[in-house]
Amino acid sequence: MPAVFAPYGVETAWVLWLLPLALLPIVASGRRRSAVPAIAAAPADPLSRRIGRALTLSGIATIGGLVVGLSGPYRAGERITRIGIGAQVSMLIDRSGSMNETFAGKQPSGAEESKAAASRRLLSGFVGERAHDHFAVTAFSTAPMLVLPMTDRHDAVRAAIAAIDRPGLDYTNVARGLAMALSQFGADRGIARVLLFISDGAAVIDPRVQDQLRAAFAKVRPNLYWLFLRTKGSPSIHDRPAGEDTPQAAPERHLDLFFKSLTIPYRAFEAEGPQAVADAIARIEALERDPIPSTEVRPRHDLTGWAYGVAALGLLLLALAVLAEADLPARRAVRRIAADEPLRRAA
Amino acid sequence: MNGPPSAEIVYRPRWRPRGSRPGAHRGRDAGGLGTFRDQVPFLSLPDARRIDLRATLRDPFEGVHVRRFETRVPVEIYALVDLSASMRYRGVADRIALAAELCAGLAASATRIGDGFGLIAADRAIRADLTLPATRHRSAALTLAGRLAAASCPAGGAEGMVEGAHSLLGRPKMVFVISDFRWPAELIRRLFSALALHDTVPVLLADSAEDEDLPDWGLAELEDLEGAGRRLVFLRPALRRRWIAREQERREALAAMAAASGARRPFTLVDRFDAQALSRHLLTD
Repeated sequence: MPAVFAPYGVETAWVLWLLPLALLPIVASGRRRSAVPAIAAAPADPLSRRIGRALTLSGIATIGGLVVGLSGPYRAGERITRIGIGAQVSMLIDRSGSMNETFAGKQPSGAEESKAAASRRLLSGFVGERAHDHFAVTAFSTAPMLVLPMTDRHDAVRAAIAAIDRPGLDYTNVARGLAMALSQFGADRGIARVLLFISDGAAVIDPRVQDQLRAAFAKVRPNLYWLFLRTKGSPSIHDRPAGEDTPQAAPERHLDLFFKSLTIPYRAFEAEGPQAVADAIARIEALERDPIPSTEVRPRHDLTGWAYGVAALGLLLLALAVLAEADLPARRAVRRIAADEPLRRAA
Repeated sequence: MNGPPSAEIVYRPRWRPRGSRPGAHRGRDAGGLGTFRDQVPFLSLPDARRIDLRATLRDPFEGVHVRRFETRVPVEIYALVDLSASMRYRGVADRIALAAELCAGLAASATRIGDGFGLIAADRAIRADLTLPATRHRSAALTLAGRLAAASCPAGGAEGMVEGAHSLLGRPKMVFVISDFRWPAELIRRLFSALALHDTVPVLLADSAEDEDLPDWGLAELEDLEGAGRRLVFLRPALRRRWIAREQERREALAAMAAASGARRPFTLVDRFDAQALSRHLLTD
């Protein structure tokens, strides 16, 4: 079979043995025939010839379409690999209770929007603008939640992001969230990988877990962006605490230090309002531009409708041709009786 | 066929036939009976019964004159009928029945005045079963003409017509070539030149369903009776006009070919046999 037909198949192949019937319109036609003494009496007419050819073709299309339709044609499902410009983006989103608050640290009221709502709005725009990116969404509070594995289905990604402003709960457990977000990247090499970490706070990472994370980061080597949604009045990433400089006293600062010690490209954005979040996302977007092969799975597609559609179109043309048939024999019958009458009298 | 065939066809040969048998047509030879023709000296026609006393007395040289009269002699009428497949055509009229009706009319008209009637039917070859040498026997001629109506015409091609024309030997005869002339022009020319010796009347069997009765609009699938395939035609006023003009041209071409070989102007028999129209045509042409 030629390569063109390779992706196509039929349910019941034996029906296709009837396909030679489609050649019938070449040798026969269902139209009423008028016998004439010499066909050469009709002047040569290109329009008639074209109509005749079109009707033969519609006959072939009708029978062929019906046979193919009966055999149940389909286009087999397949994986298509395309090269686009983009990156694999694994989003790690904080779902702790404080995300429900506004940037001022209050419960949102009226026109105010919570940090979660703001990040949802801005991230949806981020997903829509980049056609070839792959996204994975992971949420975390006390335990990490796998929201969406790595995919290029942007509708699903947007739906996942739309769900992140559901009221969050509990505390912030960064380490397990990071581990899961890292595990979202596949084994493919040579693809730009981005870990987008969105949170409004930090927590102490256990030294033992720190080693595991270090190993995981070294293996995956993503570009790490930390979008820190800072509540007004809370300490900045860069603030040294007044007292002892321990992870417990300033978890944000120490998480930042931990990220810096990972020897991977890392940037932290500190945002104190929706506008700042938008700026940060725009900058991330500008940074990540690399070729990325994207695999799309096309499901099996039923082509029966098309086959019957072709047959219906052919039938319609044939029906129109029958309606347009010139009524030669009927006229003849009437005239015959009338013409015989005077003869009989004369005889 | 309804009732006895009409014997109303009146015809006049173009030439003066010879012959000694009494018949209905003005002969070339002068004889003792018939219409007065001229006076000749007694020595050239020593027939004492026809001495013209008045002319003899009027002659200053005292010669004896004899009256001479035109003889009336019979001719032989032949119908050369095409039985190629296109004669199966049924339009307003059944073409082969029309031909049979015409032959019966000719047979009746010819035998009524003592002329012989013969029939030669041919498709690719002469059809021996439908061929009759000229006879004055009325019922034999009519029977064969009647059998013609039921004849089958399976073969396409009319080459036997030329063969039939060559078989018409001897004295000139009056030959009616009955066909629709859906032949190649070359065959028509050959037939007419083979019949150049005779007084040939081409009778073109036409049908108004073939041209004038065509509908203005519509699709028609035409099938050739002679096996030249089928064709779809989209009828519309412009095409219909072209079609009729083409048929007209064909008739004119036939007339030109007939004239070139000395045959008479073709008579076009449309839809029904009209003996009076044929008589008018035969007497005025």
